[in-house]
Amino acid sequence: MASRSLGRIVSSGLLRNLGVQRTGLPLINSARHESTEGSDSTALETRPTVRKFDPAVRQGLTDFGQYVAECMPKFVQKVQLTAGDELEILISPAGVVPVMSFLKNHTNAQFGSLADIAGVDMPTRQYRFEIVYNLLSFRFNSRIRVKTYTDELTPIDSVNDIFKAANWNEREVWDMYGVYFANHPDLRRILTDYGFEGHPLRKDFPLTGYVESRYDDELRRVVQEPVELAQEFRKFDLAAPWEQFPAFRESLPAAEEVPINNKE
Amino acid sequence: KMAGVKAFTGLTGMAVAKNPGHTLGVLYSKILRACAKMPADYTYRKETETMINERADIIKKSADMAEAEKKIGMGQIEEVIIQAENELVLARGILEWRAWEPLEEKAPENQWKWPL
Repeated sequence: MASRSLGRIVSSGLLRNLGVQRTGLPLINSARHESTEGSDSTALETRPTVRKFDPAVRQGLTDFGQYVAECMPKFVQKVQLTAGDELEILISPAGVVPVMSFLKNHTNAQFGSLADIAGVDMPTRQYRFEIVYNLLSFRFNSRIRVKTYTDELTPIDSVNDIFKAANWNEREVWDMYGVYFANHPDLRRILTDYGFEGHPLRKDFPLTGYVESRYDDELRRVVQEPVELAQEFRKFDLAAPWEQFPAFRESLPAAEEVPINNKE
Repeated sequence: KMAGVKAFTGLTGMAVAKNPGHTLGVLYSKILRACAKMPADYTYRKETETMINERADIIKKSADMAEAEKKIGMGQIEEVIIQAENELVLARGILEWRAWEPLEEKAPENQWKWPL
């Protein structure tokens, strides 16, 4: 049967790999570990420290990405694989609730756990904020990432009705970036101080902030005043004049796109 | 048909289902009725109908629930019931959102470009 359910592919792929991972390091023959002499029978570790490329897992992820794109063509704009084995579904902001509901409720997906909601600020873009949802499936032991975009004023639908974990995570994104979540039961600050103004993780918010607090003896309370640092801000340019990784000049692309049928 | 009802599921908070065959039958028929309203060439509809019919078939042909659980291979029958309930919620949601339509909103140029 030509079913591309993640379950059948991933479970068979994972079970096959579990036996392969256990190639141990070469045994140290010398038993004189306390000895001050250098042990001359240790072999050098010659295998390169690169991540194993598993085509079965990648094919499974690619198939599943195409499956999601075919089930939700109205909202899925792009599907890509980053870092070799991390599947990302890029959707339009109107499709947050449908796609998250699909990934949680569909039997072939069953991503029951919302691990994190992250925000990314890229001020040069038209929609500067990216909202990133990380999901985990216990049933199939796999992860997936869903990304949307928005700007300072456009609200995003809250997924609190689908994942209760979204409650505090969305409060954090609101507090740090200023992204408003519609239909959120309780959207208020969570990490910043009570009278804090501004959204700290935006790129235009300075590292030192704008105000500092101190206890004032006369007024007998904590006051907030414009920040004054004893030392001026030092910016270190960490780029060296010499090439750092000559063996990796042709760097791999950040993401490999999974081909999907985007009918207009 | 029931060779012996199990005493517990082993999962906290999950009670043993009293009449799982009947419950699943009701849920599956509701899901299939929701799927029937979707376009015939829609991938979700085709996959879901195949899977539901397969599971209903397994349950009908199995002697008891334990054998059905093993054949379906998705955990205990109570978990299969939960999966069916979720699938029903999703199918009705898809009908409401009309998710089979082509892409509604294209991303602006360079929205997804990385590195910038």
